Amino acid sequence: MFEHEGLSKEFEFVTKKSEIKHIGDSIKNTSIKMQTIAFALIQGDQDTVGQLTIECLEEGISANEILDNGLLNGMSIVGVKFRDNIIFVPEVLIAARAMKAGMTHIEPILSESGIEPQGKVLMGTVKGDLHDIGKNLCIMMLRGSGFTVYDLGVDTSPEDFADGFEEYQPDIIGMSALLTTTMPNMGRTIQYFEDVGLRDEVRLMVGGAPVTQEFADEMGADAYGDSAIDAVDKAKELILLLKDLRD
Amino acid sequence: MKTMTKKERVFSALNRQEVDRPPVANPTSVATVEMMDLVDAPFPEACRSAELNARLAATEITEFDFDSIAPYFSIIQESSAIGCDMQWEQKDNWPTVRMSNPIWQDASDVKVPKDFLEHKDTKVILDSIKILRKEFGNDIPIIGKTMGPWTLAYHVFGVEKFLLGTIDNPSETKLALEKLKEFTYLFGEAQIDAGADILTVPDHATGDLVSGQYYKTFLQDLHTEMAESFKVPLILHICGQTVDRMPAIAETGMHAFHFDSKNKPEDAMNAVQNKISLVGNINNPETLYSKNTTEVKKEVFDCLNAGVQIIAPECAIPLKTKSENLIAITEGVTDWLSEHNKN
Repeated sequence: MFEHEGLSKEFEFVTKKSEIKHIGDSIKNTSIKMQTIAFALIQGDQDTVGQLTIECLEEGISANEILDNGLLNGMSIVGVKFRDNIIFVPEVLIAARAMKAGMTHIEPILSESGIEPQGKVLMGTVKGDLHDIGKNLCIMMLRGSGFTVYDLGVDTSPEDFADGFEEYQPDIIGMSALLTTTMPNMGRTIQYFEDVGLRDEVRLMVGGAPVTQEFADEMGADAYGDSAIDAVDKAKELILLLKDLRD
Repeated sequence: MKTMTKKERVFSALNRQEVDRPPVANPTSVATVEMMDLVDAPFPEACRSAELNARLAATEITEFDFDSIAPYFSIIQESSAIGCDMQWEQKDNWPTVRMSNPIWQDASDVKVPKDFLEHKDTKVILDSIKILRKEFGNDIPIIGKTMGPWTLAYHVFGVEKFLLGTIDNPSETKLALEKLKEFTYLFGEAQIDAGADILTVPDHATGDLVSGQYYKTFLQDLHTEMAESFKVPLILHICGQTVDRMPAIAETGMHAFHFDSKNKPEDAMNAVQNKISLVGNINNPETLYSKNTTEVKKEVFDCLNAGVQIIAPECAIPLKTKSENLIAITEGVTDWLSEHNKN
């Protein structure tokens, strides 16, 4: 299928028609070097990803090309495998670590280039919850996809989210929770935004292992991401909707 | 069939024997803000004072008519005694470990503090069990709780670092778990000595984080050894999707598995093939927290129709759960029995 045999094998895990087309089209015309980066990322081989990123930059390949054709293509397959329970968090973490090894070299170049971000997102794990793996994965994927992301960390109260909104003026606020016991704090944060008159100013998105679409709807969230990859797609959709509204 | 005591009922269900009615017993926690106000035993004090702890735990019997008492409300008592960085929170939030500030780097750091069982936050549970035993006698089963090594590893090493280690250096992970299990044994045995009849062992190798193969590779043998060593029935608790690892869990020799609402009761029953009792799995964040008694009873019926042996919320319940929804669990069992006996 592709020039890189290992990546072709990994691509076999992509089984949804729309994704076969979307991810396949994105990979098929890329160079063997980009495919090697994508494959190394899926394997969690941070040394290879870091080394190849440096080599590519030295050869004059643009930071954007490495990001889109190498790192993000690899991460798309990681996202599919994670969603379909082929791999789990440890395997995603080593892929994320490999992505970071590449991003370390290209992020400074991207931020100097002055390209307009896709949108601004404020992220935090809700009050009472100190888990941040899921949130951090989302942040990494959002940044990799061109969003500017502000991170409020863990244990974020409704007041902290509102203060963060005032300070950063994001388009979207993303709330994360790992515990069923802290999930209700998402609803409390949404209610707080209603109470202080900020609800219409920003789009509120939720996610986390125990969170479901039904729960998100009940809490009155604008979007629910069932994985870090899905969170990026939902954030893009929200930005498009906001653009339409503003136009 | 003659009416059983609560203890007889729970023990029979744990052994998959006949019961006069299916028991309702949450092996994690039913502490709520309403109950904290009712008996004046708020968080976090109720997690740190034996008298308040026992008073709040007793509401499981006095207010909800459940079939057991579980006085360990959170998952952090041992971690506090070990020396983890703690956030004790307030009445409507759970105390928790600041896992972003891990206290240990690797297995060589794992050492049991000399005062582990005398520390305020382990002793509170031991003293509370003694108070409850004295107050309620021998006919009500007291369920203690001792954290498994996997959960303790999250607390002492940090979740991300620990999970990365499972791939970078699995032998080191196994060594760390082997050393951490000493806490599970020490605290579990001390609770049995204090009067606990049953122990819950939460060990969060959840399907939301790791594969079923991980359970087999890292935990199945440790859990089997625990089931052989402890002299009281053990209830393993793992949140999230677990059907893929239930057949392995069922082989450990533990008496019961407390399962999450992400797993359908029929699927869970099929997975364990009557080799272990199931406890669960009323949904917490949606059903108990925000729906009504009719919805709660519907889930009770679903569990009973599938053959689940002990009816319970899927995990420690949200602190602002309404009492009426908890009472509805017991009522749901009564309604199901009336309907069942009619047929």
